[in-house]
Amino acid sequence: MKRGCWERAVRCGCYAAGFWVVSGAVAVVGFAVRQGAPHVTPKLLFGGVSAREALFGGAPVFDGLWPAVVGTFYLVAGAVALAAPLGLATGIYLAEFSRGRLKEVLTVFFDVLAGVPSVVVGLFGFSVSLLLHKMVSPRLGPCLLVAAFSLMILVLPYVIRATQSALEGVPQEVRITALSLGADPVQNLAWVLIPHSFRGIASGLLLAVGRCAEDTAVILLTGVVVTAGVPRSLLDPFEALPFYIYYVSTQYASPEELERGFGAALILLGVSVSLFAVAYAVRRAVGHWALYRA
Amino acid sequence: MTTVGEIHAVNPRMTCRRVNVYYGDKHAIKNVSIDIGRNEVLAMIGPSGCGKSTFLRCLNRMNDTIEGCRVTGTITLDGQDIYDPDLDVVLLRAQVGMVFQKPNPFPKSIYDNIAYGPKIHGLAQTRAELDEIVETSLRKAGLWDEVKDRLDHPGTGLSGGQQQRLCIARAIAVSPEVILMDEPCSALDPIATARIEELIHELREQYTIVIVTHSMQQAARVSQRTAFFHLGDLIEVGPTDRIFTRPRHPLTEDYITGRFG
Repeated sequence: MKRGCWERAVRCGCYAAGFWVVSGAVAVVGFAVRQGAPHVTPKLLFGGVSAREALFGGAPVFDGLWPAVVGTFYLVAGAVALAAPLGLATGIYLAEFSRGRLKEVLTVFFDVLAGVPSVVVGLFGFSVSLLLHKMVSPRLGPCLLVAAFSLMILVLPYVIRATQSALEGVPQEVRITALSLGADPVQNLAWVLIPHSFRGIASGLLLAVGRCAEDTAVILLTGVVVTAGVPRSLLDPFEALPFYIYYVSTQYASPEELERGFGAALILLGVSVSLFAVAYAVRRAVGHWALYRA
Repeated sequence: MTTVGEIHAVNPRMTCRRVNVYYGDKHAIKNVSIDIGRNEVLAMIGPSGCGKSTFLRCLNRMNDTIEGCRVTGTITLDGQDIYDPDLDVVLLRAQVGMVFQKPNPFPKSIYDNIAYGPKIHGLAQTRAELDEIVETSLRKAGLWDEVKDRLDHPGTGLSGGQQQRLCIARAIAVSPEVILMDEPCSALDPIATARIEELIHELREQYTIVIVTHSMQQAARVSQRTAFFHLGDLIEVGPTDRIFTRPRHPLTEDYITGRFG
Protein backbone atom coordinates (compact mmCIF):
# COMPACT_ATOMS: atom_id res chain seq x y z
CA MET A 1 0.00 0.00 0.00
CA LYS A 2 2.70 2.39 1.07
CA ARG A 3 4.83 1.55 -1.92
CA GLY A 4 1.87 2.14 -4.26
CA CYS A 5 1.37 5.61 -2.80
CA TRP A 6 5.01 6.48 -3.30
CA GLU A 7 4.97 5.28 -6.86
CA ARG A 8 1.87 7.37 -7.62
CA ALA A 9 3.38 10.44 -5.98
CA VAL A 10 6.63 10.13 -7.95
CA ARG A 11 4.74 9.57 -11.17
CA CYS A 12 2.44 12.57 -10.56
CA GLY A 13 5.47 14.72 -9.74
CA CYS A 14 7.17 13.71 -13.00
CA TYR A 15 4.04 14.38 -15.02
CA ALA A 16 3.59 17.75 -13.35
CA ALA A 17 7.18 18.77 -14.04
CA GLY A 18 6.89 17.70 -17.68
CA PHE A 19 3.56 19.49 -18.07
CA TRP A 20 4.96 22.63 -16.50
CA VAL A 21 7.93 22.76 -18.87
CA VAL A 22 5.88 22.04 -21.97
CA SER A 23 3.12 24.49 -21.05
CA GLY A 24 5.73 27.17 -20.38
CA ALA A 25 7.18 26.68 -23.85
CA VAL A 26 3.71 26.59 -25.42
CA ALA A 27 2.76 29.78 -23.59
CA VAL A 28 5.84 31.65 -24.81
CA VAL A 29 5.41 30.52 -28.42
CA GLY A 30 1.65 31.11 -28.25
CA PHE A 31 2.20 34.63 -26.95
CA ALA A 32 4.69 35.40 -29.72
CA VAL A 33 2.30 34.03 -32.34
CA ARG A 34 -0.70 35.94 -30.95
CA GLN A 35 1.14 39.20 -30.74
CA GLY A 36 3.22 38.83 -33.86
CA ALA A 37 1.11 36.92 -36.41
CA PRO A 38 -1.14 39.81 -37.47
CA HIS A 39 1.94 41.90 -38.24
CA VAL A 40 3.96 39.39 -40.24
CA THR A 41 3.18 40.75 -43.68
CA PRO A 42 5.22 41.21 -46.83
CA LYS A 43 5.41 44.85 -45.85
CA LEU A 44 7.14 43.97 -42.56
CA LEU A 45 9.71 41.95 -44.46
CA PHE A 46 10.22 44.02 -47.57
CA GLY A 47 8.90 47.50 -46.71
CA GLY A 48 7.99 49.49 -49.78
CA VAL A 49 9.73 47.13 -52.22
CA SER A 50 7.87 44.19 -53.78
CA ALA A 51 8.95 40.74 -52.63
CA ARG A 52 9.96 39.67 -56.13
CA GLU A 53 12.18 42.68 -56.66
CA ALA A 54 13.79 42.25 -53.24
CA LEU A 55 14.41 38.52 -53.67
CA PHE A 56 15.40 38.33 -57.31
CA GLY A 57 15.85 41.88 -58.55
CA GLY A 58 18.44 42.88 -56.01
CA ALA A 59 16.38 45.93 -55.00
CA PRO A 60 17.62 47.26 -51.65
CA VAL A 61 15.17 46.99 -48.73
CA PHE A 62 15.38 49.97 -46.37
CA ASP A 63 12.36 49.70 -44.12
CA GLY A 64 11.81 45.93 -43.88
CA LEU A 65 13.27 43.00 -41.99
CA TRP A 66 14.55 41.08 -45.02
CA PRO A 67 18.20 42.17 -44.59
CA ALA A 68 18.02 41.10 -40.94
CA VAL A 69 16.68 37.67 -41.95
CA VAL A 70 19.48 37.23 -44.49
CA GLY A 71 22.03 38.58 -42.01
CA THR A 72 20.91 36.07 -39.38
CA PHE A 73 21.21 33.19 -41.87
CA TYR A 74 24.69 34.29 -42.95
CA LEU A 75 25.74 34.73 -39.36
CA VAL A 76 24.57 31.27 -38.27
CA ALA A 77 25.98 29.60 -41.38
CA GLY A 78 29.32 31.38 -40.94
CA ALA A 79 29.63 30.65 -37.23
CA VAL A 80 28.71 26.97 -37.59
CA ALA A 81 30.97 26.58 -40.62
CA LEU A 82 33.84 27.91 -38.52
CA ALA A 83 32.93 26.00 -35.35
CA ALA A 84 32.19 22.60 -36.93
CA PRO A 85 35.64 21.59 -38.22
CA LEU A 86 37.51 23.00 -35.24
CA GLY A 87 35.02 21.62 -32.71
CA LEU A 88 34.90 18.17 -34.30
CA ALA A 89 38.66 17.94 -34.49
CA THR A 90 39.11 19.04 -30.88
CA GLY A 91 36.35 16.69 -29.68
CA ILE A 92 38.00 13.80 -31.52
CA TYR A 93 41.37 14.72 -30.03
CA LEU A 94 39.94 14.82 -26.50
CA ALA A 95 38.04 11.55 -26.85
CA GLU A 96 40.54 9.48 -28.78
CA PHE A 97 44.06 10.78 -28.41
CA SER A 98 44.36 12.91 -25.31
CA ARG A 99 45.20 11.07 -22.09
CA GLY A 100 45.70 11.64 -18.39
CA ARG A 101 46.15 15.00 -16.76
CA LEU A 102 46.13 17.05 -19.97
CA LYS A 103 42.77 15.59 -20.92
CA GLU A 104 41.29 16.45 -17.52
CA VAL A 105 42.60 20.00 -17.69
CA LEU A 106 41.31 20.55 -21.24
CA THR A 107 37.90 19.10 -20.40
CA VAL A 108 37.50 21.45 -17.44
CA PHE A 109 38.76 24.31 -19.59
CA PHE A 110 36.08 23.76 -22.23
CA ASP A 111 33.40 23.47 -19.56
CA VAL A 112 34.53 26.81 -18.17
CA LEU A 113 34.54 28.29 -21.67
CA ALA A 114 30.95 27.11 -22.10
CA GLY A 115 30.05 29.15 -19.02
CA VAL A 116 31.68 32.42 -20.12
CA PRO A 117 28.95 35.10 -20.44
CA SER A 118 28.31 35.93 -24.07
CA VAL A 119 28.91 39.63 -23.49
CA VAL A 120 32.49 38.80 -22.50
CA VAL A 121 32.91 36.85 -25.73
CA GLY A 122 31.43 39.89 -27.50
CA LEU A 123 34.02 42.15 -25.87
CA PHE A 124 36.75 39.81 -27.01
CA GLY A 125 35.38 39.97 -30.55
CA PHE A 126 35.26 43.73 -30.33
CA SER A 127 38.92 43.80 -29.26
CA VAL A 128 39.77 41.56 -32.20
CA SER A 129 38.07 43.95 -34.59
CA LEU A 130 39.95 46.88 -33.03
CA LEU A 131 43.17 44.99 -33.44
CA LEU A 132 42.38 44.26 -37.10
CA HIS A 133 41.54 47.92 -37.58
CA LYS A 134 44.88 49.03 -36.17
CA MET A 135 47.21 46.32 -37.39
CA VAL A 136 45.80 45.20 -40.73
CA SER A 137 43.72 47.87 -42.41
CA PRO A 138 41.83 50.93 -41.20
CA ARG A 139 38.93 49.81 -43.38
CA LEU A 140 38.40 46.76 -41.17
CA GLY A 141 36.13 46.94 -38.15
CA PRO A 142 33.19 45.16 -36.61
CA CYS A 143 31.70 43.06 -39.41
CA LEU A 144 29.99 39.80 -40.30
CA LEU A 145 33.25 37.85 -40.19
CA VAL A 146 34.24 39.11 -36.73
CA ALA A 147 30.72 38.43 -35.43
CA ALA A 148 30.71 34.90 -36.87
CA PHE A 149 34.18 34.32 -35.40
CA SER A 150 33.04 35.48 -31.96
CA LEU A 151 29.90 33.33 -32.11
CA MET A 152 32.18 30.44 -33.04
CA ILE A 153 34.03 30.93 -29.76
CA LEU A 154 30.69 30.99 -27.96
CA VAL A 155 29.45 27.68 -29.42
CA LEU A 156 32.75 25.85 -29.76
CA PRO A 157 32.52 24.27 -26.29
CA TYR A 158 29.12 22.73 -27.09
CA VAL A 159 30.41 21.19 -30.29
CA ILE A 160 33.60 19.95 -28.63
CA ARG A 161 31.93 18.40 -25.60
CA ALA A 162 29.09 16.88 -27.64
CA THR A 163 31.60 15.27 -30.00
CA GLN A 164 33.76 14.08 -27.13
CA SER A 165 30.94 12.51 -25.12
CA ALA A 166 29.37 10.94 -28.23
CA LEU A 167 32.69 9.28 -29.10
CA GLU A 168 33.39 8.21 -25.53
CA GLY A 169 29.91 6.69 -25.42
CA VAL A 170 30.73 4.18 -28.17
CA PRO A 171 30.69 0.78 -26.42
CA GLN A 172 34.03 -0.96 -25.98
CA GLU A 173 33.00 -3.99 -28.06
CA VAL A 174 32.17 -1.74 -31.02
CA ARG A 175 35.34 0.25 -30.49
CA ILE A 176 37.61 -2.77 -30.85
CA THR A 177 35.82 -4.49 -33.74
CA ALA A 178 37.58 -2.73 -36.59
CA LEU A 179 40.87 -2.76 -34.65
CA SER A 180 40.62 -6.53 -34.38
CA LEU A 181 40.37 -6.67 -38.18
CA GLY A 182 43.59 -4.72 -38.47
CA ALA A 183 42.21 -1.21 -38.91
CA ASP A 184 44.50 1.55 -37.69
CA PRO A 185 43.07 4.16 -35.28
CA VAL A 186 42.27 6.61 -38.08
CA GLN A 187 40.42 3.99 -40.12
CA ASN A 188 38.57 2.94 -36.99
CA LEU A 189 37.57 6.54 -36.42
CA ALA A 190 36.32 7.10 -39.95
CA TRP A 191 34.59 3.78 -40.42
CA VAL A 192 33.19 2.94 -37.01
CA LEU A 193 33.50 5.57 -34.31
CA ILE A 194 32.25 8.68 -36.11
CA PRO A 195 29.32 6.97 -37.90
CA HIS A 196 28.39 5.36 -34.61
CA SER A 197 28.40 8.60 -32.67
CA PHE A 198 27.02 10.72 -35.49
CA ARG A 199 23.70 11.48 -33.80
CA GLY A 200 25.38 12.82 -30.68
CA ILE A 201 27.83 14.91 -32.71
CA ALA A 202 24.99 16.33 -34.82
CA SER A 203 23.05 17.21 -31.67
CA GLY A 204 25.97 19.36 -30.56
CA LEU A 205 25.90 21.15 -33.91
CA LEU A 206 22.12 21.66 -33.63
CA LEU A 207 22.59 23.22 -30.23
CA ALA A 208 25.22 25.49 -31.76
CA VAL A 209 22.81 26.55 -34.53
CA GLY A 210 20.16 27.52 -31.98
CA ARG A 211 22.63 29.41 -29.83
CA CYS A 212 24.00 31.36 -32.81
CA ALA A 213 20.53 32.33 -34.03
CA GLU A 214 19.42 33.78 -30.72
CA ASP A 215 22.50 35.40 -29.25
CA THR A 216 22.42 39.19 -29.11
CA ALA A 217 25.20 40.26 -26.76
CA VAL A 218 28.00 38.96 -28.98
CA ILE A 219 26.82 40.54 -32.22
CA LEU A 220 25.92 43.78 -30.44
CA LEU A 221 29.63 44.36 -29.94
CA THR A 222 30.97 42.85 -33.13
CA GLY A 223 29.23 44.30 -36.13
CA VAL A 224 25.44 44.35 -36.04
CA VAL A 225 23.86 47.69 -36.99
CA VAL A 226 20.35 49.05 -37.38
CA THR A 227 20.51 49.60 -41.13
CA ALA A 228 23.00 47.92 -43.40
CA GLY A 229 21.01 46.21 -46.14
CA VAL A 230 21.77 42.67 -47.25
CA PRO A 231 25.51 42.16 -46.54
CA ARG A 232 27.59 42.06 -49.70
CA SER A 233 30.75 40.73 -48.15
CA LEU A 234 32.02 39.14 -44.96
CA LEU A 235 33.71 42.43 -44.07
CA ASP A 236 30.46 44.43 -44.05
CA PRO A 237 28.37 45.28 -41.02
CA PHE A 238 25.02 43.51 -41.06
CA GLU A 239 21.53 43.41 -39.63
CA ALA A 240 20.20 40.55 -37.51
CA LEU A 241 16.81 39.67 -36.10
CA PRO A 242 17.67 39.27 -32.39
CA PHE A 243 19.31 42.68 -32.38
CA TYR A 244 16.32 44.24 -34.15
CA ILE A 245 13.98 42.76 -31.54
CA TYR A 246 16.23 44.01 -28.76
CA TYR A 247 16.48 47.56 -29.95
CA VAL A 248 12.82 47.91 -31.00
CA SER A 249 11.60 46.63 -27.66
CA THR A 250 13.88 48.95 -25.71
CA GLN A 251 13.52 52.08 -27.85
CA TYR A 252 10.14 51.92 -29.55
CA ALA A 253 8.52 55.30 -30.18
CA SER A 254 5.04 54.09 -31.07
CA PRO A 255 2.82 51.03 -30.46
CA GLU A 256 3.20 50.14 -34.16
CA GLU A 257 6.93 49.88 -33.78
CA LEU A 258 6.54 47.49 -30.86
CA GLU A 259 4.15 45.39 -32.97
CA ARG A 260 6.84 45.18 -35.62
CA GLY A 261 9.09 43.87 -32.86
CA PHE A 262 6.62 41.05 -32.13
CA GLY A 263 6.44 40.32 -35.84
CA ALA A 264 10.23 40.12 -35.91
CA ALA A 265 10.20 37.74 -32.92
CA LEU A 266 7.87 35.44 -34.79
CA ILE A 267 10.06 35.58 -37.89
CA LEU A 268 13.11 34.76 -35.74
CA LEU A 269 11.23 31.73 -34.41
CA GLY A 270 10.48 30.75 -38.00
CA VAL A 271 14.13 31.19 -39.02
CA SER A 272 15.28 29.07 -36.07
CA VAL A 273 12.76 26.35 -36.85
CA SER A 274 13.78 26.25 -40.50
CA LEU A 275 17.48 26.15 -39.55
CA PHE A 276 16.71 23.25 -37.21
CA ALA A 277 14.73 21.53 -39.96
CA VAL A 278 17.65 21.86 -42.38
CA ALA A 279 20.06 20.60 -39.72
CA TYR A 280 17.80 17.62 -38.96
CA ALA A 281 17.48 16.78 -42.64
CA VAL A 282 21.26 16.94 -43.02
CA ARG A 283 21.69 14.78 -39.93
CA ARG A 284 19.34 12.12 -41.29
CA ALA A 285 20.82 12.15 -44.76
CA VAL A 286 24.45 12.20 -43.69
CA GLY A 287 23.82 9.71 -40.90
CA HIS A 288 22.34 7.24 -43.32
CA TRP A 289 25.06 7.86 -45.85
CA ALA A 290 27.78 7.41 -43.22
CA LEU A 291 26.34 4.11 -42.09
CA TYR A 292 25.23 2.52 -45.34
CA ARG A 293 27.38 3.96 -48.11
CA ALA A 294 28.58 1.34 -50.53
CA MET B 1 52.49 -21.98 -10.01
CA THR B 2 53.73 -24.68 -12.38
CA THR B 3 51.34 -25.83 -15.03
CA VAL B 4 50.34 -29.48 -14.93
CA GLY B 5 50.05 -31.40 -18.21
CA GLU B 6 51.49 -30.90 -21.68
CA ILE B 7 52.09 -27.28 -22.62
CA HIS B 8 53.90 -28.35 -25.82
CA ALA B 9 52.16 -29.00 -29.12
CA VAL B 10 53.64 -31.22 -31.83
CA ASN B 11 53.53 -28.59 -34.54
CA PRO B 12 53.03 -25.24 -32.85
CA ARG B 13 51.57 -22.25 -34.70
CA MET B 14 51.87 -19.98 -31.70
CA THR B 15 54.22 -20.29 -28.74
CA CYS B 16 53.72 -18.41 -25.48
CA ARG B 17 56.44 -18.38 -22.83
CA ARG B 18 56.35 -16.83 -19.36
CA VAL B 19 53.56 -14.43 -20.32
CA ASN B 20 52.55 -11.97 -17.60
CA VAL B 21 49.83 -9.36 -17.91
CA TYR B 22 49.37 -6.43 -15.55
CA TYR B 23 46.47 -4.00 -15.41
CA GLY B 24 48.12 -1.21 -13.47
CA ASP B 25 49.07 -2.97 -10.21
CA LYS B 26 46.86 -5.98 -10.78
CA HIS B 27 48.71 -9.09 -11.89
CA ALA B 28 46.10 -10.59 -14.22
CA ILE B 29 48.10 -13.35 -15.94
CA LYS B 30 50.91 -15.08 -14.09
CA ASN B 31 53.80 -16.65 -15.95
CA VAL B 32 51.75 -18.60 -18.49
CA SER B 33 53.51 -20.84 -21.03
CA ILE B 34 51.59 -22.76 -23.66
CA ASP B 35 51.78 -23.79 -27.33
CA ILE B 36 48.92 -23.56 -29.77
CA GLY B 37 49.17 -26.28 -32.41
CA ARG B 38 48.45 -26.00 -36.11
CA ASN B 39 44.88 -26.84 -37.08
CA GLU B 40 43.88 -27.54 -33.55
CA VAL B 41 41.08 -26.07 -31.51
CA LEU B 42 42.36 -25.03 -28.09
CA ALA B 43 39.64 -24.37 -25.53
CA MET B 44 40.35 -22.12 -22.56
CA ILE B 45 38.09 -22.70 -19.57
CA GLY B 46 37.94 -21.44 -16.01
CA PRO B 47 35.78 -19.47 -13.62
CA SER B 48 34.86 -15.83 -14.36
CA GLY B 49 37.76 -13.44 -13.89
CA CYS B 50 40.39 -16.17 -14.18
CA GLY B 51 42.14 -14.34 -17.01
CA LYS B 52 41.27 -16.52 -19.97
CA SER B 53 39.86 -13.63 -22.03
CA THR B 54 42.80 -11.44 -21.03
CA PHE B 55 45.20 -14.11 -22.21
CA LEU B 56 43.25 -14.51 -25.46
CA ARG B 57 43.59 -10.80 -26.14
CA CYS B 58 47.38 -11.06 -25.76
CA LEU B 59 47.47 -13.29 -28.80
CA ASN B 60 46.56 -10.50 -31.24
CA ARG B 61 47.69 -7.63 -29.04
CA MET B 62 44.19 -6.35 -28.45
CA ASN B 63 45.37 -5.57 -24.92
CA ASP B 64 47.31 -2.70 -26.51
CA THR B 65 44.00 -0.86 -26.77
CA ILE B 66 43.47 -0.99 -23.00
CA GLU B 67 45.01 1.85 -21.03
CA GLY B 68 47.42 0.77 -18.30
CA CYS B 69 47.80 -2.79 -19.60
CA ARG B 70 51.34 -4.24 -19.73
CA VAL B 71 52.40 -7.57 -21.19
CA THR B 72 55.75 -9.30 -20.59
CA GLY B 73 57.19 -12.59 -21.83
CA THR B 74 57.30 -13.81 -25.41
CA ILE B 75 54.54 -14.83 -27.80
CA THR B 76 55.50 -15.96 -31.28
CA LEU B 77 53.46 -16.63 -34.38
CA ASP B 78 55.31 -18.93 -36.80
CA GLY B 79 58.51 -18.11 -34.96
CA GLN B 80 58.06 -14.33 -35.17
CA ASP B 81 57.82 -12.44 -31.86
CA ILE B 82 54.49 -10.60 -32.01
CA TYR B 83 55.58 -8.11 -29.34
CA ASP B 84 58.64 -7.10 -31.37
CA PRO B 85 58.55 -3.27 -31.55
CA ASP B 86 59.20 -3.47 -35.30
CA LEU B 87 56.24 -5.72 -35.90
CA ASP B 88 53.27 -4.17 -37.71
CA VAL B 89 50.32 -4.76 -35.42
CA VAL B 90 47.92 -4.17 -38.32
CA LEU B 91 49.37 -7.16 -40.16
CA LEU B 92 49.36 -9.23 -36.98
CA ARG B 93 45.65 -8.65 -36.54
CA ALA B 94 45.07 -9.68 -40.11
CA GLN B 95 46.87 -12.95 -39.34
CA VAL B 96 45.18 -13.46 -36.00
CA GLY B 97 41.47 -12.69 -36.35
CA MET B 98 39.00 -12.33 -33.55
CA VAL B 99 35.33 -13.04 -32.88
CA PHE B 100 33.72 -11.46 -29.83
CA GLN B 101 31.25 -12.53 -27.19
CA LYS B 102 28.38 -10.43 -28.47
CA PRO B 103 27.81 -10.49 -32.22
CA ASN B 104 28.96 -7.03 -33.30
CA PRO B 105 28.43 -6.43 -37.01
CA PHE B 106 29.14 -2.92 -38.23
CA PRO B 107 25.91 -1.01 -38.74
CA LYS B 108 26.41 -1.38 -42.47
CA SER B 109 25.34 -3.77 -45.20
CA ILE B 110 26.16 -7.47 -45.02
CA TYR B 111 28.47 -7.01 -48.01
CA ASP B 112 30.32 -4.08 -46.45
CA ASN B 113 30.78 -5.96 -43.21
CA ILE B 114 32.76 -8.66 -45.00
CA ALA B 115 34.44 -6.35 -47.51
CA TYR B 116 35.85 -3.99 -44.89
CA GLY B 117 38.87 -6.08 -43.84
CA PRO B 118 39.95 -6.99 -47.40
CA LYS B 119 39.58 -3.34 -48.39
CA ILE B 120 41.85 -1.95 -45.67
CA HIS B 121 44.44 -4.65 -46.30
CA GLY B 122 44.27 -4.20 -50.08
CA LEU B 123 43.44 -7.87 -50.67
CA ALA B 124 41.28 -7.18 -53.71
CA GLN B 125 42.25 -5.14 -56.79
CA THR B 126 38.86 -5.19 -58.51
CA ARG B 127 35.22 -5.29 -57.52
CA ALA B 128 34.98 -8.83 -58.94
CA GLU B 129 37.79 -10.00 -56.66
CA LEU B 130 36.12 -8.38 -53.69
CA ASP B 131 32.80 -10.03 -54.61
CA GLU B 132 34.59 -13.36 -54.68
CA ILE B 133 36.17 -12.86 -51.25
CA VAL B 134 32.79 -11.89 -49.83
CA GLU B 135 31.12 -14.96 -51.30
CA THR B 136 33.87 -17.36 -50.23
CA SER B 137 33.94 -16.00 -46.70
CA LEU B 138 30.18 -16.21 -46.33
CA ARG B 139 30.22 -19.75 -47.73
CA LYS B 140 32.93 -20.83 -45.27
CA ALA B 141 30.86 -19.35 -42.45
CA GLY B 142 27.82 -21.27 -43.69
CA LEU B 143 25.84 -18.09 -44.22
CA TRP B 144 25.89 -17.64 -48.01
CA ASP B 145 22.63 -19.42 -48.81
CA GLU B 146 20.79 -17.46 -46.17
CA VAL B 147 21.95 -14.00 -47.21
CA LYS B 148 22.97 -14.16 -50.89
CA ASP B 149 19.80 -12.35 -52.02
CA ARG B 150 20.13 -9.52 -49.52
CA LEU B 151 23.78 -8.61 -49.36
CA ASP B 152 22.84 -4.93 -49.35
CA HIS B 153 20.68 -5.28 -46.25
CA PRO B 154 22.05 -4.10 -42.91
CA GLY B 155 24.05 -6.76 -41.07
CA THR B 156 22.36 -5.73 -37.84
CA GLY B 157 19.02 -6.98 -39.23
CA LEU B 158 20.12 -10.64 -39.07
CA SER B 159 19.30 -12.98 -36.19
CA GLY B 160 21.82 -13.34 -33.36
CA GLY B 161 23.25 -16.60 -34.68
CA GLN B 162 23.46 -15.25 -38.21
CA GLN B 163 25.15 -12.09 -36.93
CA GLN B 164 27.77 -14.19 -35.15
CA ARG B 165 28.41 -16.20 -38.32
CA LEU B 166 28.65 -12.88 -40.18
CA CYS B 167 31.34 -11.83 -37.68
CA ILE B 168 33.15 -15.11 -38.25
CA ALA B 169 32.93 -14.54 -42.02
CA ARG B 170 34.27 -11.03 -41.49
CA ALA B 171 37.24 -12.43 -39.58
CA ILE B 172 37.85 -15.09 -42.25
CA ALA B 173 37.73 -12.54 -45.08
CA VAL B 174 41.22 -11.22 -44.29
CA SER B 175 42.68 -14.77 -44.57
CA PRO B 176 43.91 -15.17 -41.01
CA GLU B 177 45.94 -18.13 -39.79
CA VAL B 178 44.55 -18.11 -36.28
CA ILE B 179 41.01 -17.23 -35.17
CA LEU B 180 40.42 -16.20 -31.57
CA MET B 181 36.90 -16.64 -30.26
CA ASP B 182 35.88 -15.03 -26.98
CA GLU B 183 32.81 -16.91 -25.75
CA PRO B 184 31.27 -16.75 -29.21
CA CYS B 185 28.08 -18.59 -28.26
CA SER B 186 27.27 -17.06 -24.90
CA ALA B 187 24.62 -14.75 -26.40
CA LEU B 188 23.10 -17.42 -28.67
CA ASP B 189 20.31 -19.99 -28.35
CA PRO B 190 21.13 -23.73 -28.43
CA ILE B 191 20.34 -24.15 -32.13
CA ALA B 192 22.51 -21.22 -33.18
CA THR B 193 25.20 -22.52 -30.78
CA ALA B 194 25.13 -25.96 -32.43
CA ARG B 195 25.52 -24.29 -35.84
CA ILE B 196 28.58 -22.32 -34.66
CA GLU B 197 30.11 -25.47 -33.14
CA GLU B 198 29.68 -27.32 -36.44
CA LEU B 199 31.33 -24.38 -38.13
CA ILE B 200 34.29 -24.53 -35.74
CA HIS B 201 34.75 -28.19 -36.72
CA GLU B 202 34.81 -27.26 -40.40
CA LEU B 203 37.09 -24.27 -39.94
CA ARG B 204 39.64 -26.31 -38.04
CA GLU B 205 40.82 -27.87 -41.29
CA GLN B 206 42.16 -24.52 -42.46
CA TYR B 207 42.67 -22.47 -39.33
CA THR B 208 44.05 -22.65 -35.84
CA ILE B 209 41.31 -21.75 -33.38
CA VAL B 210 41.52 -20.63 -29.77
CA ILE B 211 38.15 -20.47 -28.05
CA VAL B 212 37.30 -19.13 -24.61
CA THR B 213 34.17 -20.74 -23.26
CA HIS B 214 32.16 -20.92 -20.06
CA SER B 215 30.57 -24.15 -21.13
CA MET B 216 32.60 -27.26 -20.36
CA GLN B 217 30.33 -29.27 -22.64
CA GLN B 218 31.20 -26.93 -25.46
CA ALA B 219 34.92 -27.25 -24.73
CA ALA B 220 34.50 -31.03 -24.77
CA ARG B 221 32.59 -30.96 -28.06
CA VAL B 222 34.76 -28.60 -30.11
CA SER B 223 38.33 -28.76 -28.88
CA GLN B 224 41.29 -31.11 -29.12
CA ARG B 225 43.18 -29.49 -26.26
CA THR B 226 41.90 -27.72 -23.19
CA ALA B 227 43.60 -25.23 -20.90
CA PHE B 228 42.23 -24.55 -17.42
CA PHE B 229 42.87 -21.11 -15.91
CA HIS B 230 42.37 -20.11 -12.29
CA LEU B 231 43.09 -16.67 -10.79
CA GLY B 232 45.52 -15.78 -13.55
CA ASP B 233 47.42 -19.09 -13.40
CA LEU B 234 47.36 -21.71 -16.13
CA ILE B 235 46.64 -24.69 -13.88
CA GLU B 236 46.49 -27.52 -16.34
CA VAL B 237 46.59 -28.13 -20.06
CA GLY B 238 46.25 -31.30 -22.09
CA PRO B 239 44.16 -33.28 -24.56
CA THR B 240 40.50 -32.45 -24.00
CA ASP B 241 39.33 -36.01 -23.38
CA ARG B 242 42.07 -36.53 -20.80
CA ILE B 243 41.33 -33.23 -19.00
CA PHE B 244 37.66 -34.10 -18.66
CA THR B 245 38.14 -37.75 -17.71
CA ARG B 246 41.39 -37.85 -15.77
CA PRO B 247 42.33 -34.38 -14.58
CA ARG B 248 45.67 -34.34 -12.77
CA HIS B 249 45.34 -31.20 -10.71
CA PRO B 250 42.83 -31.11 -7.83
CA LEU B 251 41.64 -27.61 -8.85
CA THR B 252 40.85 -28.84 -12.37
CA GLU B 253 38.97 -31.77 -10.94
CA ASP B 254 36.98 -29.52 -8.60
CA TYR B 255 36.09 -27.22 -11.47
CA ILE B 256 34.99 -29.82 -13.98
CA THR B 257 33.00 -31.73 -11.41
CA GLY B 258 31.20 -28.51 -10.53
CA ARG B 259 32.54 -28.05 -7.01
CA PHE B 260 33.21 -24.38 -7.79
CA GLY B 261 32.81 -22.12 -10.79
